[in-house]
Amino acid sequence: MTRVVSMALATLLAAATAHSQAVDELKLPAGFAATVVHEGSGAGRHLAIAAGGDIYLGSRDGIVAMRDSDGDGKVDVTQTFGDVKGTEVVIFGDWLYASDNVGVYRYPLKKGQTVPTGAKETVVDGFPMERQHADKTFTLDPKGTLYINVGAPSNSCQEQDRQPGSLGRNPCPILEKYGGVWVFDGNKLNQKATDGRRFATGMRNAVAIEWNASQNALYAVIHGRDALDTLFPALYNAVDNATRTAEEFHRITDGGDYGWPYTFFDTKLKKRMLAPEYGGDGKKTPEQGKYPDPLVAFPAHWAPNDLLFYAGKSFPAKYQGGAFIAFHGSWNRAPEPQAGYKVVFQPMKDGKPSGDYEVFADGFAGDLQDNNPRNARYRPVGLQVGPDGSLYIADSQKGRIWRVSYKK
Amino acid sequence: MRWVVATLALSVAACATSAEPVSAQATPASPTAPSNAATPLADAAGQQAYARNCLSCHQSDGYGVPNMQPAITGGTWVQGDAKALALFVMTGGFNSAERKESESHNVMPAFRQLPDAELAAILTYIRQKFGKGAPAVSAADVAAARASLPPG
Repeated sequence: MTRVVSMALATLLAAATAHSQAVDELKLPAGFAATVVHEGSGAGRHLAIAAGGDIYLGSRDGIVAMRDSDGDGKVDVTQTFGDVKGTEVVIFGDWLYASDNVGVYRYPLKKGQTVPTGAKETVVDGFPMERQHADKTFTLDPKGTLYINVGAPSNSCQEQDRQPGSLGRNPCPILEKYGGVWVFDGNKLNQKATDGRRFATGMRNAVAIEWNASQNALYAVIHGRDALDTLFPALYNAVDNATRTAEEFHRITDGGDYGWPYTFFDTKLKKRMLAPEYGGDGKKTPEQGKYPDPLVAFPAHWAPNDLLFYAGKSFPAKYQGGAFIAFHGSWNRAPEPQAGYKVVFQPMKDGKPSGDYEVFADGFAGDLQDNNPRNARYRPVGLQVGPDGSLYIADSQKGRIWRVSYKK
Repeated sequence: MRWVVATLALSVAACATSAEPVSAQATPASPTAPSNAATPLADAAGQQAYARNCLSCHQSDGYGVPNMQPAITGGTWVQGDAKALALFVMTGGFNSAERKESESHNVMPAFRQLPDAELAAILTYIRQKFGKGAPAVSAADVAAARASLPPG
């Protein structure tokens, strides 16, 4: 009996130890392992990684340049530089492109240099300063066409934003300057926001926007609307709000219209519905075929903040051409439990979903005390593939960066 | 022996459950014993009305959401003059320096449509929970504040 008890105690201790380690570790599929390459750069956003391995993290305090100079898997040189305080960072050719709320800029990247010494150049500026959905995330195609997400400074284009019962403006004038993708020449300097061409519209805020080189096409995951229940309590309750307004994954085509603010995609009814601001009564649908259904309707309020098509060499075959999506996690699900603090993998074949999405990395949020996002331990926000095919994930709570690699 | 096995199973189960990444439950903390005149009934009504109207933005702990909606907790309005607080909520803070200078992404709706008693219950609740137990707000306080609003 004594032996049994001591064995039991030993097992308990082992379980407790494993648990305390697991608390701070990501939950990944079998064969994958994560290491922490850096922590402490504040509100991290998106990532760019140079061919030589130098890491650039967009942040609210400026771009952070990092290098692992002794090759031990941890960053040992960290320097914040420049005055571009925002989300997006992209390496294109010999340049580091970055954006803030009002423009897109670039720095020359010279061989052997981690922190660019050349002057910042302005590619586009003059976007109006807004508070809401203001990040100008972007992507470039191989020719240098620059696709900029211009989020709508509004929830649903109500006459009075986020006011209960306020009806939608029709047509929504916000769409003239926001709520879509605008294209510019990424190789040309000093363009003005008004020089761009509207490429696609009806997109509330497509933070996760990415050129898919294998398909030669643009894709995005769009943040869906908030507050169905508080704005229209006679039609929708808190559970409806927390669960029904999809985060929509689309292939974005020239001239496409993705339905904001007139509609939302309802994950419960599995169809596009007329928004309550525009005469929706919980049953009415827009004109058939006017707006495309999403490729995938992700759960409400998960906040898709980065999209990446995997083309690295080191992950198993099923990941090739598939999409990784970093979900920042919800705030607008309360009082229902918050959700979505995870990185998801969407299998794709020929540019179309080829199966259900899978949770790839989880365990970021911790126990989320008081159900408040501010208490999340980590929130995934940026994704990038390293030169060896590893997946890097950036966090916005502590500026942590993980490297996820596959071990056969 | 059976007891040991059962305990182990329980411990492992508990461990597995608490290791679930997003297991937070929406449990607005139970109303604390009121330190002032508010009755327990008014407190529960205030909590429910807060949940219906305010919680999705300001959250159950009143801390709001960083960058999105500001905290009520620790603010000056919540513990200040009752009539000023009622006006703030009925106008969504319109014309206040807080609203103009706020860096929060989202604007606050005006809650003028709420009846005096319901708004009073909400304000009493947030003063107790997030306002260091500032005194209760009565329906008469809200009515007086409402009377000073321009018509509309």
